[in-house]
Amino acid sequence: MGIIKYIKLYFRLVSAGVRAQMQYRFAFIMRIVGMITAYTGTAVTMWVMLYQFQQLGSWNFYEMLFLFAFSILSWGFCIILFFHFRSLDTYILNGTFDRFLVRPIHPFFHFMAMKFDVASFGQFIFSIFVFIWVSGVLDIGWNVEKFLFLIAATIGGVLIQGGLLVMISAIAFWTTKSEQFYWVAMYPARNLTYYPLVIYPKVIQWIIAFVIPFGFVNYFPVSVILDKDVPFFPSYIGYLSPLVGVIFFTIAYFIWMFGLNHYKSTGS
Amino acid sequence: MAIIEVEHLHKQFKVAKRETGIIGALKSIVNREFITKEAVKDISFSIEKGEMVGYIGPNGAGKSTTIKMLTGILVPSSGKVIVNGLVPYEDRQKNAKNIGVVFGQRTQLWWDLPTIESFELLKEIYRVPDSLYKKNMDIFCDILGLSEFLNTPVRQLSLGQRMRADIAASLLHDPPILFLDEPTIGLDVVAKEKMRTFIQEINREKNVTVILTTHDMEDIEKLCQRMVLIDHGQKVYDGDILTVKNRFGTSRTLIVDVEENGKELQVRGGELIKEEGNRKWIRFNRFEISASEIIHQITRTHNITDLTVEEPEIETIISKIYQEGFKEPVIQ
Repeated sequence: MGIIKYIKLYFRLVSAGVRAQMQYRFAFIMRIVGMITAYTGTAVTMWVMLYQFQQLGSWNFYEMLFLFAFSILSWGFCIILFFHFRSLDTYILNGTFDRFLVRPIHPFFHFMAMKFDVASFGQFIFSIFVFIWVSGVLDIGWNVEKFLFLIAATIGGVLIQGGLLVMISAIAFWTTKSEQFYWVAMYPARNLTYYPLVIYPKVIQWIIAFVIPFGFVNYFPVSVILDKDVPFFPSYIGYLSPLVGVIFFTIAYFIWMFGLNHYKSTGS
Repeated sequence: MAIIEVEHLHKQFKVAKRETGIIGALKSIVNREFITKEAVKDISFSIEKGEMVGYIGPNGAGKSTTIKMLTGILVPSSGKVIVNGLVPYEDRQKNAKNIGVVFGQRTQLWWDLPTIESFELLKEIYRVPDSLYKKNMDIFCDILGLSEFLNTPVRQLSLGQRMRADIAASLLHDPPILFLDEPTIGLDVVAKEKMRTFIQEINREKNVTVILTTHDMEDIEKLCQRMVLIDHGQKVYDGDILTVKNRFGTSRTLIVDVEENGKELQVRGGELIKEEGNRKWIRFNRFEISASEIIHQITRTHNITDLTVEEPEIETIISKIYQEGFKEPVIQ
């Protein structure tokens, strides 16, 4: 099937997924409200902390807020596109995953297109509000280049976080359950990105840069946008974010396909 | 040429050995021992175009493993599988266009959306041309009565309706082969009958080859001319249903209603297996004694008010084969 056909089919499947989700309006709205509340809570915590210290590793409250909002923005897109992978283990457990293997389209694509989680509006509302507010306070000096970089870095962040979701889901091909790994890898990695990496010990910074490259989700690119120093790392490292995203996601995809092949020979 | 060909098919799984108790469980986390389980052992068969074959066996016999290998979900450990000229696990996506699959317990429809939307999405996924889509939908609405619930969300359908929609969905792209895994499970008598009639009709009109797994022997009796029986991963029988019945259905049960007269009912050559008031069940081997002989014996002491002779159900026959294996019969 050609790429155009796939794109058309993607939108068909996705719109079906959205309509299915809209069947449960109340749950949908509550999730948006819940997300905004939760993130605002984290932001307030930051404020309380910074009220005492004024600065955290040379980052002030508004800069940190920008860093936080940047992480939430790409996470919002990531949820829309890739969150369905988090339920892969349930499909495998129930035996419903086999359905994707008796259809004449690519299983990775098919699985990804089955759900389009529009409830991440909460993330968008929160992060866009914060961007506008903080841009007014900080002297960011927005121009076309910076804005394009923001978009490219967001794509990078989406691919990095999506890649990790895909990798974690692939574990289910071997172990049947993978939910725990979400809490072991995804949750802590995302939480680390809420604060500037510079405050962490060197080892953790190194892991977040090169093992689970969540530093590229927000810390490195935001340092470029806000013109901040990134100690221990080359100053251009933030620009690599989109590239790291593409590479990391590609690796994730191949791991997933490798897992699928394993599944096909064991059928766990 | 056969549409499905299976030769010396094997499938082995490595299964983690489960240890009992807490210590065993902890031990198995650190050092898991694996045992190889042979789910399918050297199975061969071939199916001609247009055949309806019942593929049956007890739970865990290897039925679904075989079906998964035929549909391309699983890769065989060894052996040959060819479905409509393709090797399913090598050309999985192409093979998917040639087959329709219904898993009775799991729907392939979009749970939260009106039924018609699932058909439209499947039309896109299988790239069914408009004309064919319209033609097939007309047929399915006609013989399956889909039109009455096309706008109802799938989750609100009754099981019977959902199964009808599921089977229609699997045939939308006109596949030459249809795999039905427990198509009548959980249905009431009327819905079962409807389903069987539809399967027959599809088989007749479109010449679809049907492979059916089921626990309901009535499905097999009513739909299939041939059955492949497997047990412990091995084929125990492959042939027509009548032969099995003749070979293993040697016992008959005579059910008589007699007038009570204080005398004891005694039958030589038969065995009284059940009594309920005036009604008696007498089992006998039809090759040793005839029904009329037994009736004759009873009439000497009792007045018979009603009687029937029951053939054994295919289910009992099959469980007998599972227990004893398929041996050549002693008396032919």
